[in-house]
Amino acid sequence: MKKNVILIISITVLLSLFAASGVFAQEDDITISFTWWGDTDRHEIYNSIVDMFEEEYPNIKVERPFGSWNQYWDKLATQIAGGNAPDVVGMHQRFVSDYAPRGALLDLQEYVDSGVLDLSHVPDSVKEGGVVNGNLYMVAQGVTTTGYMYNTKTFDDLGVEYPNMDWTYEEFAAKAREVQAVAEEQGREIWGVGDDSTLFMPQFAYFARSKGEEVYTNDGKLGFTQETVEEWFNYWKELRDDGVIPDMATTVEYTSAPLEQNLFTTQKTAIGTVPANQLWLYQEQFSEGKINIVRMPHFADGRPGEYIEGSYLAVTSGSDHPEAAARLISFFINDSEAQQLFMLEQGVPPTTTAQERISDKLTPVQQRIIDFVSYTLEIAEKSAYPPSGSTEVTSEFEEVAQAVGFGSMTPAEGAEEFMSSAEEILARNR
Amino acid sequence: MKKWLKENWEGYLFLTPWLIGLLVFTIIPILTSLYLSFTRYNILTTPEFIGVDNYFRMLSDKDFIQSLKVTFKFVFLSVPLRMSFALLIAMLLNRKIRGLRFYRAVYYVPSLLGGSVAISILWRQLFNREGLLNQFLSIFKIEGLNWIATPSTALYTLIILLVWQFGSSMLIFLAALKQVPEDLYDAAKIDGASKLRQFTNITLPMITPMVLFNLIMTMINAFQSFTPAFIISNGTGGPVGSTLLYSLYLYKRGFTFFEMGYASALAWILLILIAIFTAIIFWTSGKWVYYEG
Amino acid sequence: MKIKKYINEKLFIHIFIILFGFIMIYPLLWMLSSSFKPSQEIFNSISFFPQDFTLENYFIGWEGISGYTFRIFFTNSFIITFAVVIGTLISSSMAAFAFSKLDFAFKNVFFVIMLGTLMLPYHVKLIPQYILFNYLGWINTFLPLTVPRFFAVHGFFVFLLVQYMRTIPNEIMESAEIDGANTLQIYWSLIMPLSVPALITSGILTFIWTWNDFFTQLIYLNNVTKFTVSVALRMFVDATSGSSWGAMFSMSILSLTPLFIIFIFFQRYIIQGITAGSVKG
Repeated sequence: MKKNVILIISITVLLSLFAASGVFAQEDDITISFTWWGDTDRHEIYNSIVDMFEEEYPNIKVERPFGSWNQYWDKLATQIAGGNAPDVVGMHQRFVSDYAPRGALLDLQEYVDSGVLDLSHVPDSVKEGGVVNGNLYMVAQGVTTTGYMYNTKTFDDLGVEYPNMDWTYEEFAAKAREVQAVAEEQGREIWGVGDDSTLFMPQFAYFARSKGEEVYTNDGKLGFTQETVEEWFNYWKELRDDGVIPDMATTVEYTSAPLEQNLFTTQKTAIGTVPANQLWLYQEQFSEGKINIVRMPHFADGRPGEYIEGSYLAVTSGSDHPEAAARLISFFINDSEAQQLFMLEQGVPPTTTAQERISDKLTPVQQRIIDFVSYTLEIAEKSAYPPSGSTEVTSEFEEVAQAVGFGSMTPAEGAEEFMSSAEEILARNR
Repeated sequence: MKKWLKENWEGYLFLTPWLIGLLVFTIIPILTSLYLSFTRYNILTTPEFIGVDNYFRMLSDKDFIQSLKVTFKFVFLSVPLRMSFALLIAMLLNRKIRGLRFYRAVYYVPSLLGGSVAISILWRQLFNREGLLNQFLSIFKIEGLNWIATPSTALYTLIILLVWQFGSSMLIFLAALKQVPEDLYDAAKIDGASKLRQFTNITLPMITPMVLFNLIMTMINAFQSFTPAFIISNGTGGPVGSTLLYSLYLYKRGFTFFEMGYASALAWILLILIAIFTAIIFWTSGKWVYYEG
Repeated sequence: MKIKKYINEKLFIHIFIILFGFIMIYPLLWMLSSSFKPSQEIFNSISFFPQDFTLENYFIGWEGISGYTFRIFFTNSFIITFAVVIGTLISSSMAAFAFSKLDFAFKNVFFVIMLGTLMLPYHVKLIPQYILFNYLGWINTFLPLTVPRFFAVHGFFVFLLVQYMRTIPNEIMESAEIDGANTLQIYWSLIMPLSVPALITSGILTFIWTWNDFFTQLIYLNNVTKFTVSVALRMFVDATSGSSWGAMFSMSILSLTPLFIIFIFFQRYIIQGITAGSVKG
């Protein structure tokens, strides 16, 4: 009897010791998850930075499910709805209105106030970018604008002058035509430029803004006219009919092509659209020639179309460890090594400290990026954030543009179709 | 009561898992989705009752109409084609030829593998610009289109995929053909009936019950087709909605835009459509299905 | 003359069957051979046999994306599929036993209902099921994909087993009862062993359908670590550049291999299963 009692007691003690140590070990151990979009190169950078974070904070483990741009937003919506979204998420101004007003993102102000999230080195204008409806929902990873790129070698070979930094839409079309014609004479098949008629943001946005219109107004309505849409479709139709840009089937085919395989990289087009921060990725694809970037075209009698774009980090409201999440963001933008690893991955870094630290490490192409973004930021204006339902509007635009491109609708019909659909979508989501 | 329990408890005991499944995973969801179809619901907030708005919305929803067109075209082209090939090959294989098992296997394998993502991926590579089909055509100096990215041809790649999988239907027909009594054929031969007449007057009528069954099941499956359309169009239903099968559209509405109320309404419309077409086939079957005895 | 015509006809049919069958199979063969070619060769040469036979596609493909190898994906698929097979066999055989061998009130009503569920499109159950699983916190786990299968939600297998069990003579049951066996024993030790062929068929068909399943795996699995082969392949397609067609094909082939192996060994059962549902008696 006595032996049994001792046995039972010792087992109980042992068990509780195990339990206690288990509890102990788990008390401070937090696991958060962080997701972003990108390709292989970018994944490596992010992973390294997160590894560094884990070293600095050994009790925080970070899981990293990530995806390509296409799948990222689908997955995120599902996860947030399911309540199992990652704690830290990459966020973009194009989509933030689908999440922030619906309560899916956390207001980060309290973490700024408590010092966990250090934004002291972030200029106000950049900080402003993360504010939606008066609350701070996201922190910039990088600021960028969009432009058009070309390969100096291609132009040298063709004997065509480089595009102008500040060109107009007329000059843009003319240059594309010139390139295609010259190439044809030389027996080469190169399109002047890729067909960007399907891209609502930012390409069409620049077009509309340059005419003095807006994409969305501050109260969430469409800020442009049907005439502008029709003009846009016509502009690209002329180029397409004359064989200056690819046929729509080709464009559709290359829509989901990764960077290494798209029309510009495979030298099927001489000019391609690019967010400034990705310029260096393209430079890496070419062994010959410099990849330069020029502004998006504008209207000679209009204003610049530029507006501030960027990528951001946000914390989802369902997060179990918001403080750890905020800490990760703070580390991401402030840690010296992280900054030097990240460089210009998402554009000009958000902190002045980062800009200082990397300034002497810049490769020529990275310098070009910074020069370009700085230049365009000066003429850029803030644009109202797309309202709820904008995702659907964007895909609707793409579909209509494709239909116009395939000839099943005229530009006029397409414009009308799009306007009524877009209005209906926004109304439904209000 | 006690007697009833005593007599029936065993049956119900064994039936319990299925009963639970029926209740929890079938009946309650069906009723719930009916309710949801009258609401606006995005999972983050509570459902908001909006009456028949969802159903009215469909009338002017051009994507919905597009998906109906695409789905009808898909079903009513692929199902008859598939049945025809299945019957044809079944007829050809329904004889004592060497290697029957091998041929049967060869024709069945596509059906076995066909529903997978892997095959859909393969299909994309068959029909895109540098794909196998165009490689083949280039031998004859024909430059093929990008079949997948061209609106007028994209759906046909899906149709071909469904027809390609006729193997399972073929097996069913083979079994049916084997059941036709030999003596019927013998009698016909004695009467001097030609092969063709034997086919139309004996074979066809005798297998019509099987044709009916096969037809209905294949049609129902075709209406619900999802995976190939999703993979080949990369989830878009494009280009320009040419591959927007009904299931894909429902998925988009429900799981991309999280309009669960509307998606529920869409689901019910699909149910009704399938029921209508099944009923039509049944009612007309009296005229062409021959039941022995 | 007649014999000649007969032989001609037979020959013609033979040739047709072979030729047509070859065309049918060719896409698969092409994918198989392409998986052994270096990626550039796949789209550049028409020759069927690889000029540069290589296994590298399989190694590259297996690596998956950024550290998530296909070992994870295959493991997940196997786990889910096996769980589903077990669940289906147990619950469907129980229900089939009840329908075919036991008597109880409303049996016919329930049977008709069961048949009705065969024709129900999954869409009407889909969203509420998703909501239910969301509420239970089961999203992003294997549970929504496996648990329902333990409740015989796919009536087809109940039907298949009923058809088979009906062919088991009732006298066997009666004599067992006389020997003192209770119903549970009859089910487990008598009917089940006798139903092995149908069970094998059900198991195999379940395996095939679950292995190929995409839609439900797509909506319920969000984390890369939980992805099955189907979902992983799709992610793979998106993320790889055109120069990795070889890797994509190799993983596709690999994903089809279990099905093919099962087919080779269990062809008879599969065919019986497909035809069982349709042929009367």
